[in-house]
Amino acid sequence: MSLTGFEVEIQREVDGGLSTEDMTLSMGPQHPSTHGVLRFVVRADGEVMKEAIPDIGYLHRSIEKIAEKVGWHGFMPYTDRVDYVAAMFCNQGWAMAGERLAGIEVPKRSEYCRVIAAEFNRIQSHLLSVGSMAMDIGAYTPFTHALREREYINDLIEELCGARLTFNYMRIGGVAWDIPPGWREKALAYVERFEPLIDEYNALISYNKIYTERLGNVAVITAQEAIEYNLVGPNLRGSGVRYDVRRDEPYSVYPELDFDIPVGTGEMGTVGDCFDRYIVRMREMKESCKILRQCLQGLPPGPVIAKVARNFKPPAGDCYVRVESARGDMGWYVVSDGTAFPHRCKIRTGSFAAMSIIQKVSRNLMIADLIAVIASFDLVAPEIDR
Amino acid sequence: MGLGTYLRNIKDAALTIGDGLAVTFSHLVRKPYTVQYPDRLPDGVRVQDTLPFRYRGILEVDLEICTACLACERACPIDCIVIDAEKDKAAGGLVMTRFDIDMAKCMYCGLCSEPCPTGAIHHTPEFEGADYSLESLVRKFVKTPVLAYKPKKGGETDPEIAPILERGMRYVNEFASADAEG
Amino acid sequence: MQELVDRLVADGLVPGGIPLWACYLAAMLLFGGIVVFVFILPIAGITTWVERRVAGRIQSRIGPNRTGPAGFLQWLADGIKSVLKEDIVPSAADVPLFKLAPYVVITGFVAAFVVVPFGGPLIIADLNVGILYLTAVTALVVVGILMAGWASNNKWSLLGGIRSAAQIVSYEIPAGLSFLPVVMLAGTLSMQGIIRHQGWAPWTWHVFDNPFTFLAFFIFFVSALAEGNRTPFDLPEAESELVMGFATEYSGLRNLLFFMAEWGNLYIIGAVVTTLFLGGWQIPLALAEHPVPRTVLQFALFFAKAYFWVFVAVWLRWTLPRIRVDQMMVMCWKYLVPLAFVNLMGTAVWMVLFPAGLGGVRVLLCLCAAGLLGVFARRVVFHIRRARLTRQDLSFNPLSTARVIG
Repeated sequence: MSLTGFEVEIQREVDGGLSTEDMTLSMGPQHPSTHGVLRFVVRADGEVMKEAIPDIGYLHRSIEKIAEKVGWHGFMPYTDRVDYVAAMFCNQGWAMAGERLAGIEVPKRSEYCRVIAAEFNRIQSHLLSVGSMAMDIGAYTPFTHALREREYINDLIEELCGARLTFNYMRIGGVAWDIPPGWREKALAYVERFEPLIDEYNALISYNKIYTERLGNVAVITAQEAIEYNLVGPNLRGSGVRYDVRRDEPYSVYPELDFDIPVGTGEMGTVGDCFDRYIVRMREMKESCKILRQCLQGLPPGPVIAKVARNFKPPAGDCYVRVESARGDMGWYVVSDGTAFPHRCKIRTGSFAAMSIIQKVSRNLMIADLIAVIASFDLVAPEIDR
Repeated sequence: MGLGTYLRNIKDAALTIGDGLAVTFSHLVRKPYTVQYPDRLPDGVRVQDTLPFRYRGILEVDLEICTACLACERACPIDCIVIDAEKDKAAGGLVMTRFDIDMAKCMYCGLCSEPCPTGAIHHTPEFEGADYSLESLVRKFVKTPVLAYKPKKGGETDPEIAPILERGMRYVNEFASADAEG
Repeated sequence: MQELVDRLVADGLVPGGIPLWACYLAAMLLFGGIVVFVFILPIAGITTWVERRVAGRIQSRIGPNRTGPAGFLQWLADGIKSVLKEDIVPSAADVPLFKLAPYVVITGFVAAFVVVPFGGPLIIADLNVGILYLTAVTALVVVGILMAGWASNNKWSLLGGIRSAAQIVSYEIPAGLSFLPVVMLAGTLSMQGIIRHQGWAPWTWHVFDNPFTFLAFFIFFVSALAEGNRTPFDLPEAESELVMGFATEYSGLRNLLFFMAEWGNLYIIGAVVTTLFLGGWQIPLALAEHPVPRTVLQFALFFAKAYFWVFVAVWLRWTLPRIRVDQMMVMCWKYLVPLAFVNLMGTAVWMVLFPAGLGGVRVLLCLCAAGLLGVFARRVVFHIRRARLTRQDLSFNPLSTARVIG
């Protein structure tokens, strides 16, 4: 049986004269809990799935090709749309690629501004992720609480750069706006307000018996498998692999900052199950608070952007930049041919890799578990399809 | 499963569910966070006034201070700004006959307002631009051909243009520049 | 109703010449009609209002507050809207079953109101198999849901329908087993009989009678929630997975009927729990002598107690995530059923050992319950303190639309 180009093998079992057939379901592009426009073709025997085949491409917008048309500076707003939930990291990746190609030295203060914006964005992204995960498992309240906190960060960043979602904050050579007067105090006050709310969120849902039963021991991915399938970020750390680009291939001011890398410890099941991936995100939010305090208190004075020509023409060459996005190691491979337009830009995102393991991990899971798995990988469709 | 695990499961379930119920109950006695917009704001308050100065809403062009340098047209990544300006010896400078911004295409990135020398093109806190037809989203700023502005050395003296220029420069100065000291 | 009619005939308020059975029938039909149109329909709707406002406050937001004062007419507007919507029947659906399913569900739900007491003599028919009839008739809902799931010709609806059938049928067992201790104590299956066996004071209620009925109360409440398809057991209509489960393909009036059955069922859960365990409509005799104010007070008390459990069900819904199908089955068969059996045996042994019960144990259990509430209140205060909330952030007004600034 073919479903728009898929050859799904239906197995017929004959058991004592009764022949049963697998059911083919389409968790179609329109679905309340696939995070974005994703489709899964699910072959199930009642509740238990035999296979879940992902079908991507519904959100492909040719962003990488657009880079070749709009030029180095003009591409910055497009990077926001690569992953609109964690847009600062995409901005940072592109800015760092341009700087590395042209050998531009970025002022210290702008690196601090970048890290502050990025860590706020990490908290924003993780809040949305844990909130939607709770909502997919059936608890609607934690979602609203997470979004309420996210609104505060939205307001802060709106004051900083003028937008709440697609920031366009960074430029090649630094950042576009300096920190406005009074913002530092507001940001610090917010971080103070937010940290105990993480504990409240944990009390509400994270350690709830029903929640841990839903997530514990579901879709266990061993460290070896995680590395083989190219998982990154909290997905990788949830399986116990302590790899973080900020620590292992540091960039910006991360070498000067003091923070831990939380990994999954299998506290509610096995190492590498859905709960580990989830709790790693909760803990990373706490670490981001630590980083934010250090950066906000240690902001050096100075300019926030280096001198970069309006008609930016980096020398021919290529570079691969890694940023630790909220969803993991985001890779930017940029090739320049010496003109004002990049020759090629390739973006490697964590969600795309996570899609590849879903087919393997979904065998013998229940359909309700598939929802938990998709949510635990923190997939965002724009990042998968670009 | 042994009796110990069995009883522990029941105890864990009861305690964690009770804790969750306590958190939820504590929310029942808190004030809601909702801003009732637009018709239940306090008197005289418009949401647009509460937005920060850097908010990137709908674009506005103050033609009085536009120098027709076309920097915004070049900077826009999505080509939504179209300016027609020609040198006119008789008028004594550049004459603009067309300055259209297609707000349907605009992605509110702010790249156009960054290179503006006077801050003529800037984002406003307006965000309510919904309309019934796509054509009405094209903002046409030039009604009759207008002479481009020439910045005067020693500051602007015309009392009508000076405040516009001041606001425009304030907007442009928000952007970081390479030689500023933090 | 029979009792009320008997009393009216004894007082000479019924014109002579009408045979008694006709009086009974007329009274039952009249009261049944009042219950359905004046009570069930508005209650199902008003419960949606309560649910939405409570959900709003739990989620730091306001619920509906524009249609009518404090949004009170929202349910009426939604009802009118649903009735006026286009009635879509999927072309490949099994049309007779598809159209019949909501009515089967509503029948099962409304038929349960026959034995729900409202206060004093107000009950449509005090069957001497009251509680057993209730359990039997609410099982009709399973048939309706299965029909809806199958007839929609939609694999997701089918999954929802089958899950629901498994769930409701399984949780009938612990529900039935956990009201048996109460029946043993009261010696009768009739609802009014069970209420009469209790008194107005908390230590005379069945829930505090002995530790086994205390446990049976929780088991019954959980099983009743599961039978009513409420979170944490709302798999059949798990929104995040199945859009709306068995009711996905329904629109307009049929959809409204499904929802009414669900929200009205909440009230039945509350009413049954109050009847069986919490003393029903019993008020201190000294409060009112004249039958009319006494009945009014009894109705008010019963309604308040039953509606408190509706609030608890709503509160649970917005706190807890969903249980998966197999975990739900494990919970039913491995946890609730054995515990219900233990309760049954325990109550039997208790009744043999202490035929009149132990007053000391009753008071002790009351104090235990009060202690639990105290611990809970302390935990709530702990959470408020940990979130560093000040007096300005708190508002005890349930209809508050005040906002936290900053």
